[in-house]
Amino acid sequence: MIPVSYNVRSLIVRRTTSLATLIGIALVVFVLAAALMLSAGIKRTLNSSGSPDHAIVLRKGSDAEMASSIETSTVGLILAQPGVKVGKDGKPLGAGEIVIVIALDKSGTAGQVSNVMVRGVADNVMALRPEARIVAGRPAKPGTDEVIIGKRLLGGFAGMSIGGHFDLKKNRPVTVVGVFETDGSSFESEVWADVETVRSSFGREGSVTSVTVTLDSPTKFKGFETAVEHDKRLGLDVLKEQAYYEQQSEATGGFVSIIGWVISFFFIIAAVIGAFITMNTAVAHRQREVGTMRALGFPRRSILGSFLLECVVLTLAGAALGVVAAYFMSFVKFSMMNFATWSEVVFTFQMTPGVVITSVLVGAITGLIGGIIPAARAARLKPIDALRS
Amino acid sequence: MRLATLAVKNVSRHKGRTALTALGIAVAIVLFILMRTFVLSWTGAIEHAAKDRLGTRHKVTFIMPLPKKYVDEIGAMDGIAKVNGVPQVTYMNWFGGKDAAHPTEFFSTIATDPETMLQVYDEILVDPKQAAAWKANRQGALIGDRLAHQFGWKLGDKIVLTGTIFPGEWTFIVEGIYTAQRRTVDRSTLWFHWDYLNESPTVKPKDQVGWIATRVSDPSRSAAIAKQIDKVFDERDVQTITMSEKAMQQSFLGMISAVLTAIDIVTVAILVIIVLILGNTIAMAVRERTTEYGCLRAIGFRASHIAAFVVGESVTIGILGGVLGVLIAQLFINGLLGPALEDNMGAFFPNFSMPPDLALKGLLIAAGLAVIAALIPARQASKLRVVDALRAVE
Repeated sequence: MIPVSYNVRSLIVRRTTSLATLIGIALVVFVLAAALMLSAGIKRTLNSSGSPDHAIVLRKGSDAEMASSIETSTVGLILAQPGVKVGKDGKPLGAGEIVIVIALDKSGTAGQVSNVMVRGVADNVMALRPEARIVAGRPAKPGTDEVIIGKRLLGGFAGMSIGGHFDLKKNRPVTVVGVFETDGSSFESEVWADVETVRSSFGREGSVTSVTVTLDSPTKFKGFETAVEHDKRLGLDVLKEQAYYEQQSEATGGFVSIIGWVISFFFIIAAVIGAFITMNTAVAHRQREVGTMRALGFPRRSILGSFLLECVVLTLAGAALGVVAAYFMSFVKFSMMNFATWSEVVFTFQMTPGVVITSVLVGAITGLIGGIIPAARAARLKPIDALRS
Repeated sequence: MRLATLAVKNVSRHKGRTALTALGIAVAIVLFILMRTFVLSWTGAIEHAAKDRLGTRHKVTFIMPLPKKYVDEIGAMDGIAKVNGVPQVTYMNWFGGKDAAHPTEFFSTIATDPETMLQVYDEILVDPKQAAAWKANRQGALIGDRLAHQFGWKLGDKIVLTGTIFPGEWTFIVEGIYTAQRRTVDRSTLWFHWDYLNESPTVKPKDQVGWIATRVSDPSRSAAIAKQIDKVFDERDVQTITMSEKAMQQSFLGMISAVLTAIDIVTVAILVIIVLILGNTIAMAVRERTTEYGCLRAIGFRASHIAAFVVGESVTIGILGGVLGVLIAQLFINGLLGPALEDNMGAFFPNFSMPPDLALKGLLIAAGLAVIAALIPARQASKLRVVDALRAVE
């Protein structure tokens, strides 16, 4: 067995080359990890927006809340269906909501606007969505022009701060009184206003866009679905809330993942080539060393092992560096349009064990592929040829 | 042998290593061109946006419509272009139809006024006979040739779409297939009669349009005309915002700017990797040739000559890789990926082809990277003292 200290010294002596390889691998791992983190962040944001015991009712054929419309008179009918949980106040735990997208000025830009989702919510919204907690300010008083905003909107747009205001309609400003969080879901990129305020601002009297209900238990979904969809005249579709948000994230999440993988693919090729050149030349330079070791009696597999070990250590160090660098991306906010709703959602880069494992594995395989051929070549050398070179 | 020849000849001393390095550069150039093409396929539309066209929509939210009577009011305003006395104003409603046979494939479905739409959007080319047939049939649809190709629709076909915004099943007859003057125009839209939509008993409230498009007679005044339109409606119940087509596209791009920025960062990152790989290769070559450089110095070559050899070798490899990369990118994007994207996702990528100037940029970047990569090794090589270089082992 060749002592490990040989490899360590070798890496140190050839520090420029070692460093270049290390940084190359680190960059590959960083880019791959960042792309996967963003994809995971998008999935988390949009998928965690549903609760397993929630069902959402849309008009048949509508694939998003915004496109849907349900008459107010139907809402009571939906809430009276079997399976809907009854709240502490004795009323069914569900509500018709109205979702609209408004254009607001982005902070710190000259006239750049972006779309923000405004949800007109009923007075039982905090009971309906228990994951929502006020983190600053206070809840909005029902029936007023007060609104609360998701914490990811804070500071992102003009008027998005406690005490700030913006127009839903000309001369109809709403005032921000509180900031809420919902464990990272897409609700954190929404404005919650009173349903009547939204309705009257946009002339949408007499209808809502969707109805969300809490069921007694997730198992009651089938019964509720059958009951609501049974009445064909209503023309309604019932979806599990989680399934709905999963479908909403498909386009955007898929888009980012595809870009991420395409880019990573090119990076990996470049890195394999880089590792290959480095290892190959390192071996070429060390022919005499290899010859000496063979002459001293070290077997081939020992030399192969030694070179591979060096390569693996270098690769893993690079991968670790890449993952650490990627970790700092978790502090970066990434705001992007959700293609399904045309409104801006703020995503974060989400480091998950899966991301770490995948990117380190890809980095390690990259290094190994680059190192294995040169290492095998080194081990195959005849001592006599190696010493003569 | 000339000095330049020596630098170039040096390249062929380690054929395997040179080939690999050039391949690495080629990969980076392909990625660079691919990413730029991707970004340009979206931002490029801005350059082609009609300068004389304005769009008017609901001030606060694009999902709320405008009263139809605004169309005539805008038509009567100053500065609107007229053809034979008819103001160049048209209107549209986003319909959001889906084909039951292809529920996941996205294409635009828009209700409009056929007569004025074809005037205002004169980049849309239709055979005059087909145009007349489409105008005459209230149920008629005008579809892009890419959409026709994608779904296999032909003239006279009956199409049934499910409305996601306007409920129910809607039947259309394909009366015309359009192409476009420019590649940046979306050729996968289905246009149909706004009257057909408005007269349907299920559509309430009546006489609402999604947005209004206008041609102005003097493009240099378009900002003033836009302001004037918004001012007129400011006192009404529904306010408007009017923008040039260019501003509208810019605001759309603003919403996905984070993605575009990320792509730019990544593109720079891969170029950095390539500098590392190339620099590494050059540094190794320099180390191997230390004795040679000592010899060259001893017979009278100056330090700057040595530096030139190193940079020359690097640039040769860089250009080799650059040419290879541009060729691969050209074949891959224009021959394979572009047509596939345009045919199947024409709504998102109406024009996905490699702009010719990218070939030159790719080459320049490859050469530039090569120079950067060679800087440190060249400095090291030229700083060598002759006696040390000759004494060096390995």
